[in-house]
Amino acid sequence: MARVFNWQLGREMSYWYPEARPQRQFAAVFDTNKCIACQTCTLACKTTWTSGKGQEYMLWNNVETKPYGSYPLAYDLKLLEMLNGQQWNGDKYEGQTIFESAPAGERVLGWRPEQQDYAYPNVGEDDCANQVDAGAFLSIPHMNWFFYLARICNHCTYPACLSSCPRGSIYKRQEDGIVLVDQGRCRGYQECVRACPYKKVFYNPMTGTSEKCIACFPKIEQGIQPQCFVNCIGKIRLAGFLSKPEQARADNPMDYLVHIKKVALPLFPQFGLEPNVYYIPPIHAPVSFNRQLFGPGAAAAMKTYRNAMNDADLAGLLCLFGSTEAVVTRFRRQGDLVAGSDDKGAEVIRVPLHEPVYQRPAVDAKNQLVRINCP
Amino acid sequence: MKNGMERRDFLGMIGAAGFGGLVASTREAWGLGAVTNPLGAYPDRGWERVYRDLWKYDSTYTFTCAPNDTHNCILNAYVRNGVVVRIGPSMKYGEATDLLGNKVTHRWDPRVCQKGLALTRRFYGDRRVMGCMIRKGFKEWHDAGFPREGNGLPPRKYYNRGRDEWLRITHDEGAKIAAAVLKNIAETYSGAEGKRRLTEQHYDPVTIDATEGAGVRTMKFRGGMPLLGITRVFGMYRLANSMALLDAKVRGVGPDQALGAKGFDNYSWHTDLPPGHPMVSGQQTVEFDLHAVEHCQTLIVWGMNWITTKMPDAHWLTEARIKGTKVVVIACEYSATASKGDDVIVVRPGTTPALALGMCNVILREKLYDAAYVNQWTDLPVLVRMDTLKYLRAKDVFGGEVAQLRNTTVLAKDAKEPPPIQHTRSFVSEAMRMEWGDFVWWDRTANAPKPLTRDMVGKNSNVQNPLLDDAVEVTLADGKKVRCRPAFDLVSEYAAHFDPKTTEEITWAPAAAMEDLARHIAKQPGKTLIALGMGPNQFFNSDNKDRDTMLLAALTGNVGKIAGNIGSYAGNYRVALFNGAPQWINENPFDIEADAGKSARPRQYWKPESAHYYNHEDHPLRVGNKLLTGKTHIPAPTKSMWFANANSILGNVKWHFNTVVNVLPRIEMVAVNEWWWSASCEWADIVFGVDAWFELKHPDMTASVTNPFLVTFPRTPMKRVFNTIGDIEVQALVSAKLAELTGDLRFNDYWKFVREGRTDVHLQRILDHSTNTKGYRFLDLEAKAKQGIPALMNSRTSPKCVGYDQVTDSIPWYTKSGRLEFYREEDEFIAAGENLPVHREPVDSTFYEPNVIVSPKHEALRPDGPEKYGVRRDDLSCETRCGRNVALTWAETKQTKHPLMKDGFKFIFHTPKYRHGSHTTPIDTDMIAVLFGPFGDLYRHDKRSPFVTEGYVDINPTDAQEIGVDDGDYVWIDPDPEDRPFRGWQKDKRNMEFARLLCRARYYPGTPRGVTRMWFNMYSATPGSVEGQRARADGLARNPRTGYQAMFRSGSHQSATRGWLKPTWMTDSLVHKAMFGQGLRKGFEPDIHCPTGAPREAFVKISKAEPGGIGARGLWRPAAMGIRPKYESEAMKRYLGGGFIKQKGEA
Repeated sequence: MARVFNWQLGREMSYWYPEARPQRQFAAVFDTNKCIACQTCTLACKTTWTSGKGQEYMLWNNVETKPYGSYPLAYDLKLLEMLNGQQWNGDKYEGQTIFESAPAGERVLGWRPEQQDYAYPNVGEDDCANQVDAGAFLSIPHMNWFFYLARICNHCTYPACLSSCPRGSIYKRQEDGIVLVDQGRCRGYQECVRACPYKKVFYNPMTGTSEKCIACFPKIEQGIQPQCFVNCIGKIRLAGFLSKPEQARADNPMDYLVHIKKVALPLFPQFGLEPNVYYIPPIHAPVSFNRQLFGPGAAAAMKTYRNAMNDADLAGLLCLFGSTEAVVTRFRRQGDLVAGSDDKGAEVIRVPLHEPVYQRPAVDAKNQLVRINCP
Repeated sequence: MKNGMERRDFLGMIGAAGFGGLVASTREAWGLGAVTNPLGAYPDRGWERVYRDLWKYDSTYTFTCAPNDTHNCILNAYVRNGVVVRIGPSMKYGEATDLLGNKVTHRWDPRVCQKGLALTRRFYGDRRVMGCMIRKGFKEWHDAGFPREGNGLPPRKYYNRGRDEWLRITHDEGAKIAAAVLKNIAETYSGAEGKRRLTEQHYDPVTIDATEGAGVRTMKFRGGMPLLGITRVFGMYRLANSMALLDAKVRGVGPDQALGAKGFDNYSWHTDLPPGHPMVSGQQTVEFDLHAVEHCQTLIVWGMNWITTKMPDAHWLTEARIKGTKVVVIACEYSATASKGDDVIVVRPGTTPALALGMCNVILREKLYDAAYVNQWTDLPVLVRMDTLKYLRAKDVFGGEVAQLRNTTVLAKDAKEPPPIQHTRSFVSEAMRMEWGDFVWWDRTANAPKPLTRDMVGKNSNVQNPLLDDAVEVTLADGKKVRCRPAFDLVSEYAAHFDPKTTEEITWAPAAAMEDLARHIAKQPGKTLIALGMGPNQFFNSDNKDRDTMLLAALTGNVGKIAGNIGSYAGNYRVALFNGAPQWINENPFDIEADAGKSARPRQYWKPESAHYYNHEDHPLRVGNKLLTGKTHIPAPTKSMWFANANSILGNVKWHFNTVVNVLPRIEMVAVNEWWWSASCEWADIVFGVDAWFELKHPDMTASVTNPFLVTFPRTPMKRVFNTIGDIEVQALVSAKLAELTGDLRFNDYWKFVREGRTDVHLQRILDHSTNTKGYRFLDLEAKAKQGIPALMNSRTSPKCVGYDQVTDSIPWYTKSGRLEFYREEDEFIAAGENLPVHREPVDSTFYEPNVIVSPKHEALRPDGPEKYGVRRDDLSCETRCGRNVALTWAETKQTKHPLMKDGFKFIFHTPKYRHGSHTTPIDTDMIAVLFGPFGDLYRHDKRSPFVTEGYVDINPTDAQEIGVDDGDYVWIDPDPEDRPFRGWQKDKRNMEFARLLCRARYYPGTPRGVTRMWFNMYSATPGSVEGQRARADGLARNPRTGYQAMFRSGSHQSATRGWLKPTWMTDSLVHKAMFGQGLRKGFEPDIHCPTGAPREAFVKISKAEPGGIGARGLWRPAAMGIRPKYESEAMKRYLGGGFIKQKGEA
């Protein structure tokens, strides 16, 4: 075991390999407040990557309804139960990570789902906490609540899958931090399936290998966002590259949302993987639940988001989400316009905070007609 | 595990060796290159090309996906080796422009959804209709030369629909047979012999008269939502129009006497039309493009599950909210959209009229209304006579003639209305103008009556300081004195019954929440958008709902403004966006224009009809001695049905099982154009396999009522995968066969451009004659669409905002008074007790006496009671109930009970639409289905499951416990036994086997007690699916002969409702705008004033059928695991409370 620094925990922790951060780290922000659980992301992924034999049950990308939804069944609940002493002191995690609480002789505290755990992938869809009674009136925070959690591989800084692989067949790409299972070398021992707390590695019984989300690296290599981002009609997602906290730049959308505004938070940071998909927590759900999932910054993030109406930079960036296929690495706002540019500094997108209203002349002299909204 | 090594051996080995040891052992054991730290470096990454190869494609092209969801997405198809391997958004919507160069932004991108992406598996799917299919018995009937019984009916032996064998024939043979059948039906049911036969078949005499002696009038054609394919789908009506040629041949009449076939309605058939909108505004529907929400201060989402049914436009809602728009959700559950609301009010289903009245009452009582708007735009100041209950007419008070109108052209008796594109203002016939007269308001300043004309709206209104809240005695020109009250006063008195406490009791909405919301929207007049959905529209009181919610909107100045408007969202419909469509559908078949550069000369021979009568056992509504269907609405008997692009008219029809068991046997031909074997195909006689969207060879066009785009279906380069032809080619082909049969070559000429591959000629004619598209060249639009770019409709505004023209330019609405009318003076409304915008209890989905008018005694409410129609007051049978006008106060109503409650019925059963299907597209695609609901399982561990998912009912967990049902159990759902699932079920075991609803139950904490829900979108059981489930080893509910895949073991969501007809939907007197253009009409018009049905009306009994565990043993697994509502393990309880995390220093 090595000692590595995990900024999400505010401390060093144990990990199987020494710290070796990539040149840059693929990262993403998902705004749960915009997610509509349409599953377009799921289908974009599935029709692109996992429509083969042996992959039927696999959802590299899935969307589950919290709190009653989980895919595979109870994946998070089971691990939360197994992991003791999940305590924060301010922003510092004082409990144990899944690496630190690994049983003797194992590298990671984990469990392996049974085949039946992958059944009912949309269990809990739209099921709310607490029973609704006749005459309910809800205002924020909602007494009855659920929210949608879209999940892909977190391309963690400290992947549990990678650390658990006995063959060293899982690696992190230096150029973008994307974590891959080498399909040539994997022999299907499923240690990674067991180790990943998010259960985002899947065993393929036809190929005898384990597979996972590849962050659509063939697209990322071309400067284009992954399938589940481009197809996201809730426009909840933005892909980019995240700096280390001390190197954060205000014009980098990822840095701005994660490090500067701290409005986007990791999923289950207490597990210790330093996951790189960041979630804007749902503003209508209870803080206690959000904190359990997204860590101690949940309350502040919810407040920041609710104040976006007074924060044009934040509102502007959130309106930029999903408007371009390109990976936007820089953004700026001027007045009602927000623009994004790519790695080379070329502007790839410019949109207004408010979609324009057009009032056309009632009489169209050229075509000799009178325009009307109900013709 | 592979390689003979057990996990524990392996762990033991690496545990002993430690980190360094692992690297060494890896090298030793498997002979691989060392990987010292895969976080930092990895030796051989050449394998990554596997995924790069998977991503590669040879080419892309675009096609348009347009199920009836209003979105119309131009999608990119990615092609490899000639096969579409995946689909994605075009990302080019942000480049759309209009004729003036106005441009939208890329915030419109992406436009796509999961259903569109899944089409790859559907276009190549095993249920594609791969050619032309004909039912064996039907072919035998044709081959035998159409034998008939004495009464004209074909012998039953030929009609084993749903169970028969199918034969594959060519489209050419199919068209030939279909043409021959049409001709035979026309011959059989024309003239005196036809009348005799129909009489002996026991059709209602008024429906026989409605054939006008022409057999072609018994043929019903339908292009399902024609806006979705303005030539290929709407072409079914062109086909109907051409039946005039057949009639001319059969009856030997000339072009002046010939009649066309009948065409079924669409928007109203789908229960999408808000029937009360035309009752208030005189036109189809008030609504706004959804991105208008960017500009409002408050958004009320009311009975609309916006984020599941308007998915690509959901971001406008969530983004508006980010920028400060307050979102209020009113729903009968904690819906998906509720989770995006700032405030949520959970109400009792079917009580929207009462809730709106409750809010109006607050506003009226506290005088918070927008007085200027009320005075300028509503009939509320208009006086109503208490002797006749009619509006007081200016002529009766002041004498003289009707006023000359500036804003309305009065057409002399024989004058013809010009085509829509030339309309600059309203047209009205002289007769209607004389009938309307002018109106009167009472000027308090002058203390005298004042005349009011249609012109006096908006800035031209002279109404100032009107008498609103008191009665007045008016002296008529003849000296007679008559007591009058302003509509405002009548409405206020009625609304006063809906005080906050009463409203809370009726609707369940907390009084304080309702009052706060009313005050909130009144405080910022013109700044609230109110989006109503399909939910409230699918109840019997739908028109009450519209009139009451529009009253609320009008009182707060929220009709016709970009940031303040009301909308009803269900379906896509405004074919008037292409008001030049008559160029195509109504081209005169006796006078065909063969020059591509010239315009057609339309003449409409076909006649529209509401499909709701077919859905109502093929007859109008009679209650006691009273015919309650207006004469302009009367349907003809149905002898053939031909539809395209639609599963709703048969496979998913309301009261489906009654339709297939009791109605279909009298229909002699059911022909379907389809590319996917739907439930409708299961019940058809002939199915023409047609091209799917991704292989269209004829271009087409569509538009939307929720976004500003004019979207082209470009011709595609994709080769046809199966033996299909275009929809429009089917129509041309059957016409060619009719030409052969009749010798009339005009049948051929009518489709000349289609046969020549020049459908664009017709599309260009439509563009040239449509108000908001003239100036576009179709080929330019198509070229843009091939790049993924739509065009913008050149509407008056973008976002489109119905009412903007009226409010901005002070032009009249399409009503008699030119104002939004909340009082309805017509006889039918007075008889129904609905001259005021009242609240009726739902007709079935209520715990109380159904269909009661909730009202205390009111001077202006004088409904015709049951006795007047010769029925007993206590007769609550389903049919009688529809025309039952009984008023009770709320105090009285709440003492009553639904008549079935004594028999253990206690659940409202409603059937909304959901995110996983656009209607029934494409819910039976495996990848979509498995995510549809909680019971998806691709490996079908439980072989009882009909498919990889299955239909289920959502039930309140406490209710479920009370009836002994566990989460995940199978349950029986039984509706009113009087006539559902089908009339006569008690003695018909054979049909009951597939008709009785059997489904899973899900504990759903989001619904209040007594309210159950089943999604509308799933495929029903058929005789074949039940047979398949029994016969197949894997238990799939799949028809062995057709491959049809059901998602129920038996029954469907349509097992519990019926065809409901409401008298106020069927008047001969309601004035409204015509479908196309600015002309005014009255009485029936399809998709504007006609029945809409009430498919969310059902009151059911639920009982346990089988345990939910695999193989009917024990609990359904998630419940057993303790992760389901009411079954939570201790850990799950802790999880729900966020209890796994501690923050130091906090308790």
